[in-house]
Amino acid sequence: MDEDMSNSARRMSTRTRRVAPKMVAALASNDNRTQAVLARLEALENDNPGLETVEVNDDSDASLDDDDEQVKRQSKGTKRKTRQAKALENAKKAPRTFHELLHEANLESLPRHVPTYLRAAVGPPSSVARRHFCTVCGFSSNYTCVRCGTRFCSTRCQNIHNDTRCLKFVA
Amino acid sequence: MTVVVLDNGGGLIKAGIGGEREPLTVIPNCLARPVSSKKFLTGDQLLSPTEDLTSATVRRPFDRGYLINPDLQSTIWAHLFSTLRLTPSHSSLLLTEPLFNLPSIQRHTDELVFEEFNFKALYVADAPGLVHLYEASRRPYGLVSKSQCSLVVDCGFSFVHAAPVFQNFCVNYGVKRMDLGGKALSNYLKELISYRSINVMDESFLMDHVKEKLCFVSLDVQRDLMIARKRGNDNIFKCTYVLPDGVTYTKGFVKDPAEADRYRTLSDGATGLHTEKMETDQQEHEEKLENKNKIDLTKNEFSLTNERFLVPEMIFRPADLGMNQAGLAECIVRAVNSCHPHLQPVLYESIILTGGSTLFPRFAERLERELRPLVPDNYRVKISTQEDPILGVWRGGSLLASSPDFETMCVTKAEYEELGSFRCRKRFFH
Ligand SMILES: [Zn+2]
Ligand SMILES: [Zn+2]
Repeated sequence: MDEDMSNSARRMSTRTRRVAPKMVAALASNDNRTQAVLARLEALENDNPGLETVEVNDDSDASLDDDDEQVKRQSKGTKRKTRQAKALENAKKAPRTFHELLHEANLESLPRHVPTYLRAAVGPPSSVARRHFCTVCGFSSNYTCVRCGTRFCSTRCQNIHNDTRCLKFVA
Repeated sequence: MTVVVLDNGGGLIKAGIGGEREPLTVIPNCLARPVSSKKFLTGDQLLSPTEDLTSATVRRPFDRGYLINPDLQSTIWAHLFSTLRLTPSHSSLLLTEPLFNLPSIQRHTDELVFEEFNFKALYVADAPGLVHLYEASRRPYGLVSKSQCSLVVDCGFSFVHAAPVFQNFCVNYGVKRMDLGGKALSNYLKELISYRSINVMDESFLMDHVKEKLCFVSLDVQRDLMIARKRGNDNIFKCTYVLPDGVTYTKGFVKDPAEADRYRTLSDGATGLHTEKMETDQQEHEEKLENKNKIDLTKNEFSLTNERFLVPEMIFRPADLGMNQAGLAECIVRAVNSCHPHLQPVLYESIILTGGSTLFPRFAERLERELRPLVPDNYRVKISTQEDPILGVWRGGSLLASSPDFETMCVTKAEYEELGSFRCRKRFFH
């Protein structure tokens, strides 16, 4: 059964795999607010957030000057072809995300006293008193969007929010 | 034998030779392709003052602070070693790695080091240990050195770690991590500017520059928000950044540095400055927003006001900005509380700040103000920032690499070939 799973994972297109963690998380929660928070974290870690469609397969021209390869070739000249071939092959696959690697590491199975990545997370704040800033203009906000939970301060900012951001990241 | 010291961060690589005070180079750990080009650039090419990186596509080997793409890392290292004329096959390597690195990533790293680059030997170190080592060596009679204890707060590219160090080793069970760093701050700044004035979502390099030049930590957010609403000269936070036009300028710059520096005239901690004009300010503020909607996009500049302090604010109060995490002060308290009670007062008295994000003006002052009320009254709180928060880890590595025992601490290529990654790795942890 395990093998079935990994095979189907391999068959997934690169695009699907890239979007997968976000989708999985979003599907796991059925309310828009949770989805919006997850999408927000995802957005803040994105390397090229401006690109609507992420180019996944543009690695083929990621090669640099040839002499860079020299350093690696010096002591293993014979393996050079295979390495290049391997690199090209790997480039075809989308890089895996940290969360995929984390999932594979199965840290949950370790005993509670073992310090891990998961146990080092600082966790939510203890105080519930929060200051709220308008997500559009940054000033203090008194209103919350009923659909996604985002804060705004005025009708004007609400309109900008509705037009440009509200539920933008939610499938 | 030469020891190559590599502080291989998610944002920057600091590279040099063990025993030297300064690294040979500091480069972004990424490839970037300018819009006008089909080729990706890396290393020193990205540092060229004439290279136009406007809207460049960025690819990074790191995700959330961990190495996820060894092939990309290999490309970047190959270029780096060749430009620095380093020969891995004749050198040892001291490499930093993030706390709680995953075994699968460690295996890939070892493959890179030994199989691809053929280093003779490897030592893997964590940032808190190196920072502690460096600070202890600078003040041999100071508390950090005598107690062999410190609390290293590393505000890096992908995350913030509060890491207790005891007997010169990072105490893993005490480490607390916030999942946001310099990259999230830059992206937050992009969002704020893009929704308010001009679309800069694609401008990673430019926005890093804006953040470094113009952001600062507020000591009183409510007061500063009021000041940021003011018009004209009363708004001492307002300043203008000029975007590159691709013709006259390939890099952006602060239009009037004197204007940008006016926030420093604020008397620290004063509250309720000029609060009387609040209502008219609200109106003005709305008019201003209307003007922004009509902004001329051909005009190559934008102005900033409250963005300047709301961006670093995220480190102190992530929850206020929609991230459900404790802020930096609480992160430190939780790290200290997970250590033995005897250690706690010493840790609060030897907090060391490192990492690029601690360079925001007034960072340490703000942290102290937030931390003091959370710490028992009879404990002292002492926070010091590293002399160079970007190079601190590298310098610690350089120091360690020049110690007489260094060779014996390493795993050699022969040992790696015989024992494999997993068993070799055990040596680096006590
Ligand atoms: Zn608003
Ligand atoms: Zn909404």
